[in-house]
Amino acid sequence: MRIIKLNAIDSTNSFLRQMSAEEAVKDYTVVVTNYQTNGRGQMGTHWNSEDSKNLMFSVFKDVSFVNIDQHFYISITVALSILKALQEFNIKKLKIKWPNDILSENKKIAGILIENVIKQNQLQGSIIGVGLNVNQTEFENLPNASSLKLLSGEHFNLDELLQVILKHLKMNFEILKSGNFQALKADYEELLFRKNKPSTFKNAEGHLFSGFIIGVSNSGCLKVQLEDQIIKEFDLKSISLLY
Amino acid sequence: MDIKEIQNLIKFVAKSGASEVKLEMDDIKITIKTGGEERDTTTFVQQIPMSAPVAQTVAPAASAPTTAAPASATSEDNSKFITIKSPIIGTFYRKPSPDKPVFVEVGKSIKEGDVLCVIEAMKLFNEIESEVSGKIVKILVDDSSPVEYDQPLFLVDPS
Repeated sequence: MRIIKLNAIDSTNSFLRQMSAEEAVKDYTVVVTNYQTNGRGQMGTHWNSEDSKNLMFSVFKDVSFVNIDQHFYISITVALSILKALQEFNIKKLKIKWPNDILSENKKIAGILIENVIKQNQLQGSIIGVGLNVNQTEFENLPNASSLKLLSGEHFNLDELLQVILKHLKMNFEILKSGNFQALKADYEELLFRKNKPSTFKNAEGHLFSGFIIGVSNSGCLKVQLEDQIIKEFDLKSISLLY
Repeated sequence: MDIKEIQNLIKFVAKSGASEVKLEMDDIKITIKTGGEERDTTTFVQQIPMSAPVAQTVAPAASAPTTAAPASATSEDNSKFITIKSPIIGTFYRKPSPDKPVFVEVGKSIKEGDVLCVIEAMKLFNEIESEVSGKIVKILVDDSSPVEYDQPLFLVDPS
């Protein structure tokens, strides 16, 4: 396994994507940095982090064995791996907020940005970007953000965290490769934030409604049980969870 | 010709105001009648001759440009173009992020392996690479709009 350490970079995902376009990148090539000048979140949002306090890395993963209809399982695999790794460090009340934010005690501590390359209708490589708030203790204007240090009071070694996360990523991708989708999905659903709890949602028109999160579909839609036992599936655009 | 293309064709005929359109291709014959106020008699007939079952598999490739042709209101032959379709359901993005330039423009030359667009589904960002080299003739979907599986995205002139 190759780990590339950089003092500062615009974005580890962009760096790795560029690298994979220019050369054949080996499975589990990792790019990790102390500081990102242009860290990216979902579609243009920013991911800001204080220098050397947090874990920011990207992993290149060959996902050519994943059927394109099952690409949400990459998301499931990554979210589970990070959560399981953090359990080893005794971080409490870890949950996955659909589709792939990692929460502890209802606060967001990690974000995931997955960028796949599709060629000839087939998945090729996946660039898995992870931002984990570790030793940063101030989050200005971000009331829902927290860090491992804020939650536990301890200081964490970033290298050690990275190694444990990579270990879980490898284990879970092996499960995915073996075709045991249901085991991964069952684990993921078990850890969903607000599962089986009465919750309030907002639909695309801005109307509020309530229901219970019961799981996800194979394509990644959120399954919500509404009144009269009706189960409806929602995609990301049509629903947001209020909490 | 798949059901979606037939649906699109029906929509197009309904919008055009024509009362009846007959279309015959190799092995397909379609008649669309847009009835008066009293009833909507939209019918279509698809005939596949028993003698030429192979022709059916050839039809979809040729039929996509055919449905696009009336929209541009020309008789130009689109069959020489290659249609690049969406491999998944999701949201079509022409840029890697909102503050970046678009991946491709009409008229731009592309080569195999170039990224054409991003299709986002459930926060998974899927870069779609081109399988062909050529020139972008038409972009069939607006930025940030939802796309269906197999929906045509780009027309490419491979010559």
